[in-house]
Amino acid sequence: MLIAEVAQYMVNGLVLGALVALPALGLTLIFSVQGFVNFSVAAQMTVGAYAAWAAGAALGWPPILIMPVAFVVPGILGIVADRLALAPVRRRPGAHTPLMLAVVSIALNLALENALHFLFGGDLRSFDLAVERDVSVAGIAMGPQQLRNLATALTIAVTLAAFFSLTRWGKAMRAVADNADLARLKGIEPARLAGLATFIGMGLAGIGGALLAIDTSVDPSTGSRLILIIFAASVVGGLTSLTGAVLGALVVGIVGEVALIVMPPVYQSLTAFVVILLVLLIRPNGLFAAVGVRR
Amino acid sequence: MITYLLFLGTLAGIYAILALGLVVSWGQAGMVNLGLAGFFGLGAYASAILSGAGVPIGLAWCLATLLSAAAGIAFCLLTRTLRGDYLAIVTLGFAEGLRLVETNERWLTGGSDGISGIRAPLKSLLPDAFPSLYLAVTWAVVAVAVVLLARLLRSPFGRALRAVRDDEQVAAVAGKSVMRLKCQAFGIGAALFGIAGAVYAHFTSYIAPDNFGVQITIYIFLAATAGGYSRLVGAVAGALAVMTILEASRLAATAIPGLDAVEIAALREFAIAVALILIIQWRPDGMFRMTNQRAGTRPVARPVAADVHS
Amino acid sequence: MAKTTRREFLIHAAGAAAVGAAGFGPMRARAQDSGPIKIGMIIPLTGTTSQYGTTMSIAAKLAVNDINGAGGVGGRQIEVVIEDDRSNPEAAVRAARKLIDIDKVVAIGGSYASAVTSAIAPLCWESRTVLFTASGADSITRTPHQGYIFRTSPTVTLQGTRVGQFAREIGAKSFFFLGPQTPFAQSYIDIISTIFKEGGGTGGGLIYEEKRASYRTEVDQALRAKPDVVILGGYVPDTGVVLKDLFRAGYAGGRIGFSFGVNQVLAQAIPAEVGEGAYSLVPSASEESTAYKTLIAKMNLPSLNTYSCQMYDHVVLAALALANEPSAPINGTTLRDNVRAISQNRSGQQVFDAAAALKLVAAGKAVNYDGPSGPLEFAENGDVEGVYFRYEQMQKGTMALLKVA
Repeated sequence: MLIAEVAQYMVNGLVLGALVALPALGLTLIFSVQGFVNFSVAAQMTVGAYAAWAAGAALGWPPILIMPVAFVVPGILGIVADRLALAPVRRRPGAHTPLMLAVVSIALNLALENALHFLFGGDLRSFDLAVERDVSVAGIAMGPQQLRNLATALTIAVTLAAFFSLTRWGKAMRAVADNADLARLKGIEPARLAGLATFIGMGLAGIGGALLAIDTSVDPSTGSRLILIIFAASVVGGLTSLTGAVLGALVVGIVGEVALIVMPPVYQSLTAFVVILLVLLIRPNGLFAAVGVRR
Repeated sequence: MITYLLFLGTLAGIYAILALGLVVSWGQAGMVNLGLAGFFGLGAYASAILSGAGVPIGLAWCLATLLSAAAGIAFCLLTRTLRGDYLAIVTLGFAEGLRLVETNERWLTGGSDGISGIRAPLKSLLPDAFPSLYLAVTWAVVAVAVVLLARLLRSPFGRALRAVRDDEQVAAVAGKSVMRLKCQAFGIGAALFGIAGAVYAHFTSYIAPDNFGVQITIYIFLAATAGGYSRLVGAVAGALAVMTILEASRLAATAIPGLDAVEIAALREFAIAVALILIIQWRPDGMFRMTNQRAGTRPVARPVAADVHS
Repeated sequence: MAKTTRREFLIHAAGAAAVGAAGFGPMRARAQDSGPIKIGMIIPLTGTTSQYGTTMSIAAKLAVNDINGAGGVGGRQIEVVIEDDRSNPEAAVRAARKLIDIDKVVAIGGSYASAVTSAIAPLCWESRTVLFTASGADSITRTPHQGYIFRTSPTVTLQGTRVGQFAREIGAKSFFFLGPQTPFAQSYIDIISTIFKEGGGTGGGLIYEEKRASYRTEVDQALRAKPDVVILGGYVPDTGVVLKDLFRAGYAGGRIGFSFGVNQVLAQAIPAEVGEGAYSLVPSASEESTAYKTLIAKMNLPSLNTYSCQMYDHVVLAALALANEPSAPINGTTLRDNVRAISQNRSGQQVFDAAAALKLVAAGKAVNYDGPSGPLEFAENGDVEGVYFRYEQMQKGTMALLKVA
């Protein structure tokens, strides 16, 4: 009985982890290339959710077409916001630029959230997608939509892996992520890749937001439902490891759900925080980071 | 009207204490505390609960301050070997986690109902003079903090701190205990957040978990940055400026025709966020120049030392 | 008494001087003696509790139009000043101070979230300003408010009792409560448990963390108890997620929610089949009352949440109470002393229309105003009494009325 229960919760956690994986990947990618924690991923997830909703519910596009919209709109908005808000701060480099950028990105997050509130109001919107009943395999229930979310996340992760290992831009980005100084010696200028990293990173956040919104609803604070778990996933993954971000998301997702067996559900978010603390205490570089971030 | 101004003045004083805390840890030592709302809440709850249990208010304030400082130092030690980003995320997680505790441990904190009827010093004796008295008390705390911090930052400790902020490796080579300095600064910052919370709790006489959300963090970062981010007097001026912006935007927003109430409210929040972004974009020069002159570990003649480090 | 007046005069004089000095321009020394009568509204327009912000502010403004269209209060127009509470008690306190000290409002209405109401309540009674609130937490009227608080929303205890009774009515033998941590979550579980135990039933509850991305595991835990009915204690966004997860898990039992969680806003935010059959209990006017129907017709909506109806009534109650004693000074105390005279005067004429009620009051007649949110009768402590509930059910994506009781 208990085993079945644990297995079910692990599956629930896996599903949640898949949802977290894409934004965590985006956050990690931006951190790797740009060198700062961009807190505006939460609002960009919401942007992705609204973009997908506008394309799906308002324009009547089919689900297969709305995901690219959820990717491109926050991607472009991410670049614009980066140029307008963050680039002027970056142009004056100093020892604290990364932290300054993090602070600006928090303000950016607030600005985007309220811009959405201004444009769309506080109402809840939903997709015209039917909610399907769970299918049960060997006593473990799982929803078709959740399976598709998992598949979407995996497909995108594989596509990204291919991009990073096969293309010139991808290789350059991975080199920067692994070691910016070394990459510079090889003649790769991290700043040049910044725009691309932001586009892909925010685009991933947007898809994550759209998938989240299909499960929940579209409102100005959709993205904030997941933000703490996303940070936890990135930290667990070591902040600079792309594989680590995906694995970190799955770990944080599963730990959070399984913990409910022994813990009151009201403290579920606290598991994310506890996981961060434990990882920092035991493996300060993250569970999956190959390269150190100590300085 | 006068009550309103006294009220805002007191609140601005509390914001000033918070901004001073940020100036010490962020401006002087280069450590970002994104969980300042958490420390603020910790101080508020600690003082409210202690005074509710019969501890004299003065003692409750001191204990709240110490508790907050201890928490700050603990987090600093925990992330001591890591980049500042980790400390930022951990403190953010702490603030969220503490909010959960405040919401759920109803036996201690009253849950999301909050704690009401927190004792206020002298309020029962002098109900009419209370607003002005409390304004004086709050600004006395601000003044004491400014004087003590100014003295501290002019001392060798302050110079070492700025040396660490500007270049940890150089400072370490020069024989400074980097970790110790950083944790001290972070602890002082957290202590100030804690006492601000205590002052706040006994002022409004009501606290709830929702009081300590992310908004206050944004406002304080805005205050500290507007004041030049590493200057003590700047933090105080910044706090006053933020309070003015917050309240004046009420009047400005209603002046825009053709918008409904929700749009006006969203626009107002948007404008406050944009203000923070613009101020950080415009300001960084001033703060680096001023503090480097005082760092003292490198030749003053060197123009913008910060450019050297990447 | 004379002493107080002198002190007040000094404070006003000092205030006026400060205003002049601060450059705010010419200022009315005693603002409520001329110009429009101001009523403050503290409404969640942004933040987590802002789902009803738009309709709340429209309803309040509609009330102003109705009152002013009927001639205003003693020939003077009324005006509402709307402030955003940002779903945050700290912002609400600043807004309340501004309304009380700058606008010199006679009353503050709105006040939706319990934490917001608890935060601003002391400011109101200390400054002798009436507070009309739409919050349900029982603790609010237990404060020493000297009669300045009127609550138009039924208390948590009353709502919980009605929901528990209704759950038994539809034949449930066991229940499971799923709701976020709120001041009332545990009270709901206790109240409903007692009702079920009296009838030989059983039940339990689980308090979850709000704003999670999924409640699958919580739903799994709830369904393990195989309840006949699940009671949804959350606000709209989370209730939508819980309903989806219940649907996915194949739960076929009953679902009952509260007016703040299951309503038209939710019906539009979830696929029709997910919410189909879910019940909701909405505080309401009596069945024969035309007030609610008139209001939704004016707002051009098929239905309206009870909180926006309450905003309308907050403004109307304030206006009628002031009009009831034209000779008295226009302030919060006069307002407080006259609310019951127009809201629950047994010998008065029962009126459902604000404009008609105002005209009668102006003509010196006794009225008993029943608004779109209910009969509006207040107990000694300020709690609303004799509220009816609309029992609604979600059918094909809209809330259908089953009965009023």
